[in-house]
Amino acid sequence: MTEEIEQIARRYARYTALGAVVIAAVWHLGYDLTVTLTGWSSFRWPFVAAAAWVLYSAIFVVGALSLSATSRGPERIRELVLATLAVDVAVIVACRPEELLGISDWGWGSIGWIGVMLTWGRPRWRAEITVFLAANAGIMLAAMAISGTFDRVSIAKYLVVIAGGVTMQLGYMAGCHLLRTRAEETVLLARRLAADDAWRESAQRIHTDRLRRYEAIRDVAESLLTQLANGADPGDPRVREDCTAGAMRLRRLITEREDVPDELVSVLRERIDAAERRQVLVTAPPFGDRLPDLPDGVREDLLRAPVRALDGARTRARVTVSAMSTMVSVAVVADNDDLPISPAPVHEASGVVVSYQRLGGEIWVNSIWQDR
Amino acid sequence: MGQQHLAGPVTVALVEDHQVVVDGVRSWFGPPTPVELVAQGPTIESVRGTAADVLLLDLNLNGTMVLDRVAELCAGGQRVIVFSEHEEPETVRAVLDAGASAFIGKGRATRESCVETILEVAADRPSVTPPMAQAIATDEGPHRPHLSDKERAALLYWFQSMSKASVAARMGIKERTVRQYIDRARVKYAAAGRPAPTKEKLLICAIEDGLLRPDEVTVYTSLAARTPAEPRD
Repeated sequence: MTEEIEQIARRYARYTALGAVVIAAVWHLGYDLTVTLTGWSSFRWPFVAAAAWVLYSAIFVVGALSLSATSRGPERIRELVLATLAVDVAVIVACRPEELLGISDWGWGSIGWIGVMLTWGRPRWRAEITVFLAANAGIMLAAMAISGTFDRVSIAKYLVVIAGGVTMQLGYMAGCHLLRTRAEETVLLARRLAADDAWRESAQRIHTDRLRRYEAIRDVAESLLTQLANGADPGDPRVREDCTAGAMRLRRLITEREDVPDELVSVLRERIDAAERRQVLVTAPPFGDRLPDLPDGVREDLLRAPVRALDGARTRARVTVSAMSTMVSVAVVADNDDLPISPAPVHEASGVVVSYQRLGGEIWVNSIWQDR
Repeated sequence: MGQQHLAGPVTVALVEDHQVVVDGVRSWFGPPTPVELVAQGPTIESVRGTAADVLLLDLNLNGTMVLDRVAELCAGGQRVIVFSEHEEPETVRAVLDAGASAFIGKGRATRESCVETILEVAADRPSVTPPMAQAIATDEGPHRPHLSDKERAALLYWFQSMSKASVAARMGIKERTVRQYIDRARVKYAAAGRPAPTKEKLLICAIEDGLLRPDEVTVYTSLAARTPAEPRD
């Protein structure tokens, strides 16, 4: 579920970025190209206007590639911004002075979209787009001052175009930014909900595990006490052995930590429980709770041979785990008569080394992983 | 010190709050075992004032961990062996760091191993039980001693295997050499920890026995941890 929502947030970022590309493209092809071609004769220097259109297209391609790859504007934009402002100036220069505020001067109304594309998603996009749009407005104002077009109608036209352009471009950016922020907040919320779910599930597991352990404690104590109450002789070696086994189990059940155990420890505990159900006397010093993170496959390789030794234990077994930040060692000593052993250490592909030894009726299986 | 004990049994005081454990431990001692239980009580105060070669101390007395009392006991020169089911490496290291001579895990203690540890400690010889072996081998603290690969491997195998003979077979060396690796690691660990009279006795004995050279002893540098009591011998 979380993954799905994260994907949605990524899509928001991507499609709003591509939206900016589409708007700029439609504007540049639909308006800029049309007025350049249809108004060819009205330009003072039409080839300069055409060259500006081509330069604009080139900058557009750079911006579009960056947005499509990373949903963000290019890393370095200073040169591109200067080239874009040069397009603005070139179109102004290409126009006749009386056409400065006419439909042929497409540059100043259009380059704002390139500004949007270049600054899209950059950390300081607000400041950058503001400076860019201010520069665009300043260039036009300077051109009006130089050409002396400062009459009321011209100033009104100027203000309408600038206000319209800025509103559309800034509005689009701010709106999309808001959408993205909301989507990201949704992702965070979804993550928190997922974490809550995980905790709830863990708490449930801990609770179930605790009930199971209490049940086991009761079973152990109850059956032993019943035997003794029914006249079992405490001097009988078998009764004493049962008492020792019961005491071992009680001690382990009581000292087992109740937080969510490491997966490796969980598997071992499960196998120890299974062995105890077969009346195998298992000793296991506390495993500790600070095992390092293991690469894929290591845990399985660490557990396989020791668990086989434990599963085949006849009457007794000892299970130990030693860990450092770069090493985990799992060992089982058991009276397992059937486990085939390898005289030489076995090197698993994961880097785990498994050693076997049979000595005095017992087998010692030890698997070690070391982070090299 | 070791010679002195050949004259009579090693005396032990036991601090333990469970009568069943007291009775069990009492049954381990006495003739023919050269160990004698001379005092016993449920609190540290209850055995205070009894001269005993070794104090056997349960770590959890009436539900309270008395880990913070170990340093105080050792500072007076008392040899302390902690006897507890809290075999987690962190706890064992804290006990050893406080100056205790040994740690016996209740989970696996047998009469033979317990008596052997008491005799070694009473003679100020290095004693390493399996939980101690693990705690020393996996120490990653800033003041940890520099152990050789073989010393570390011997400790880990000793903790995880069935016997020192089995460690010897695994490492392809003599059992005597395994003991030497383990004992050297124990002495190095004592030398790297906070000073305590009991540890210094151990170091002196180890140097006398040729287990360690004087220049291999690097004294712990934290003055804050130094106790005012100076060793008397």
